[in-house]
Amino acid sequence: MLYRIAGQYKTSYEADHALFPVRQDAWLLGVILALAFIVLPLTASDFVFQALLIPVLVYSLAALGLNILTGYAGQLSLGTGAFMGVGAYACFKLVTIFPELNLLAAILLSGLFSAAIGVAFGLPSLRIKGFYLAIATLAAQFFLVWLFEKWAWLYNYASSGAIQVPNVRMFGVYVAGPQAASIVQYYFVLGVVVVLTAAAINLTRGRIGRTWKAVRDMDIAAELVGIDLMRAKLSAFAVSSYVIGVAGALFVFLWRGAAEPNLFDIPLSFRVLFIAIIGGLGSVLGNFLGAILIVAMPVLLNVVPQALGLPIGSSTVEHLNVMAIGTLIVAFLILEPLGLARLWALIREKLILWPFPH
Amino acid sequence: MKRLLSTTALAAALAFGGAFAASAEDVISMPNLSYRTGPFAATGIPLMNGQRDYALMLNARDGGVGGAKLGYEECETGYNTEKGVECYEKTKANAVVTQPWSTGITLQVLPKTNVDKRAIFAPGYGFSPMGDGKTFQWAFNPPSSYWDGAQMILKNISGGNLDSLKGKKIALLHLDHPYGKEPIPLLEALGAKHGFSFLAIPVGLKEMQNQSAQWLQIRRENPDFVLMWGWGAMNSGAINEAVKTKFPMDRFIGIWWSGHDGDMATAGAEAKGYRTISWNQPVPDAKVMADIKKHVIDAKLSDTPVDQMNWVFYQRGIVIQMMLNEGVKAAQAQFKTKAVNAEQLRWGLENIKVDDAKLAELGMTGMVVPFATSCADHTGHGGAWMLQWDGAKFVKVSDLIKPDRDAIKPLEAAKAKEYADANQPWPVNADCKL
Repeated sequence: MLYRIAGQYKTSYEADHALFPVRQDAWLLGVILALAFIVLPLTASDFVFQALLIPVLVYSLAALGLNILTGYAGQLSLGTGAFMGVGAYACFKLVTIFPELNLLAAILLSGLFSAAIGVAFGLPSLRIKGFYLAIATLAAQFFLVWLFEKWAWLYNYASSGAIQVPNVRMFGVYVAGPQAASIVQYYFVLGVVVVLTAAAINLTRGRIGRTWKAVRDMDIAAELVGIDLMRAKLSAFAVSSYVIGVAGALFVFLWRGAAEPNLFDIPLSFRVLFIAIIGGLGSVLGNFLGAILIVAMPVLLNVVPQALGLPIGSSTVEHLNVMAIGTLIVAFLILEPLGLARLWALIREKLILWPFPH
Repeated sequence: MKRLLSTTALAAALAFGGAFAASAEDVISMPNLSYRTGPFAATGIPLMNGQRDYALMLNARDGGVGGAKLGYEECETGYNTEKGVECYEKTKANAVVTQPWSTGITLQVLPKTNVDKRAIFAPGYGFSPMGDGKTFQWAFNPPSSYWDGAQMILKNISGGNLDSLKGKKIALLHLDHPYGKEPIPLLEALGAKHGFSFLAIPVGLKEMQNQSAQWLQIRRENPDFVLMWGWGAMNSGAINEAVKTKFPMDRFIGIWWSGHDGDMATAGAEAKGYRTISWNQPVPDAKVMADIKKHVIDAKLSDTPVDQMNWVFYQRGIVIQMMLNEGVKAAQAQFKTKAVNAEQLRWGLENIKVDDAKLAELGMTGMVVPFATSCADHTGHGGAWMLQWDGAKFVKVSDLIKPDRDAIKPLEAAKAKEYADANQPWPVNADCKL
């Protein structure tokens, strides 16, 4: 009933290949965007912005970057955290060397640095596959974090070894640094995430995305039908690292405000990988669902006992939280091994038939 | 899914906010970003217990401070900066103070204080130049800063004259983290001035428990003294390696966070002679300890093990809560109100005066070094004592050591200015004439 597709005729190939073959999908997206752009900013408090909305968006973007590489092109990477770090440090250097530079430009440029480094560490993928490639990206992870610690130029020789986001203005409004208002930061992050997500959707549906999928499913077959493996793999590394780098710059500049090198260590890589896997590899929607589960759920669970007035100590809540999240992850993986995105696809299929299944 | 979650989020946040607003009028909300979980929990738990038990004791014995109950509440961070920011945002609405605990969280919260108008209370940790109260209006790190600590250790090992260290070699075994790097600029400057050679030996977060490479380097370099800026698992790792490599314990000195009874336990008698500089010391027969035993432990309000009550860190927790309370009392007296707000507490923290008479009145004689803060001096620079491990507990082995402020001040002023310049616009306290 809600998802009735009867009467929606496709009369041309364009219509058949449209982004939203079913009209209700477009409406649903419209509602979600209206919610994100209008309703949430009007109602959210600082806590909701800083602990829920902004981190979910940033982590979704990072997972999207990883998903392009792992989900679409089939190259497993464990270096996401370090590539986010490259984006963050590049952005920090750009902003401190050229204080006049527009922050949006700096963030988009810093993605290029991480793309270049991503391609360099992607070179081994031409020879090695699977778990062995994962080990090569793990090397990138360790090397880059070590570099963030030892190369004092990167953090402008600060004695603490950490980078601190200065106050940055765009068009007279503070967008980054302690003076920036949460709502401004939210809109900034939302804008970047929406644009990059739209770009990623189109990229993965187009020619390049199809070559990536072909490489993922069977690289020898792909080579035999004339796909240049080197170009496909390296372009996947480049695009993926670009998105991850931008996510890293947003992570530090629009959310954290300060970062020490070990922030970009392997736990961050795993966190993003979990989001991508639980959300669903090879899907764009999955990254957002995964980020909601992994990033926002613990925060929500944390406030539940207090909201209910249960006298539980904060550290006990934390222990319970870890257990609950672990259980949820296992439950979701058993329920739907292909991720939350697949779960949504199933729900949608059922909705199309509802209430009159054959 | 997204919409559902967001509405739940909003509902939860609103409910949470409501719970706060419902609290009675005369409660001073003092959230503590605690870490009873995670890799640093062993050091966090006694500190948090001390702070909590003292607040509970005052609430039970005196009904709080100056007629207002102490709203001591914890928000668990696990020493994780991400959780720290979450906790900060969650608790900041009603809180009069932020107690960030981790240097990472402090770094993140410090620039926000001028905007949010909330005092950061970071006793004995954080960024040393925070003591410059004119620049850092909202940050407090009494009673001694890390740079004071480094200078006092040098003063003690040199017998009061730093020039006698000429030609000696001093190594700093430190956590490779903002906290561990804190004393490096000062030690480098003092080394150049007094002619001793300085060697920094970093211990990465991943190698805290296995420091064989670092101790191999120490054996090869054979420094005259090893100073330690360690935390969590790094402390016991270092002590055990020192015992294993037979490094003379009387040449091994830690900062106050490296003097935890629990860390020393595994090495026990073999670590005898290890010293730590500390601005507090355990006084088992202090009146306040008896009161805590009576009103909190025996009343089953707390599950602190009785044998941990004489740990340096447990009693340090008590002292920390006391310093905060003194700020509250000063503000209550000045503004003639019970439930002080953040702005008033800031004034109070600038006017803490802890002397021997005050300590006697609180039943805390000898538990902490006397100090006083002012609008220009948010540290107080009360000095510290040298404590030595006798194989079973820490005992005081020196008189009160005071830092030579003249050697530290110029560097502090320079770094404070650097910080303010990098974070423009950064308002400074122009009203302070001291």
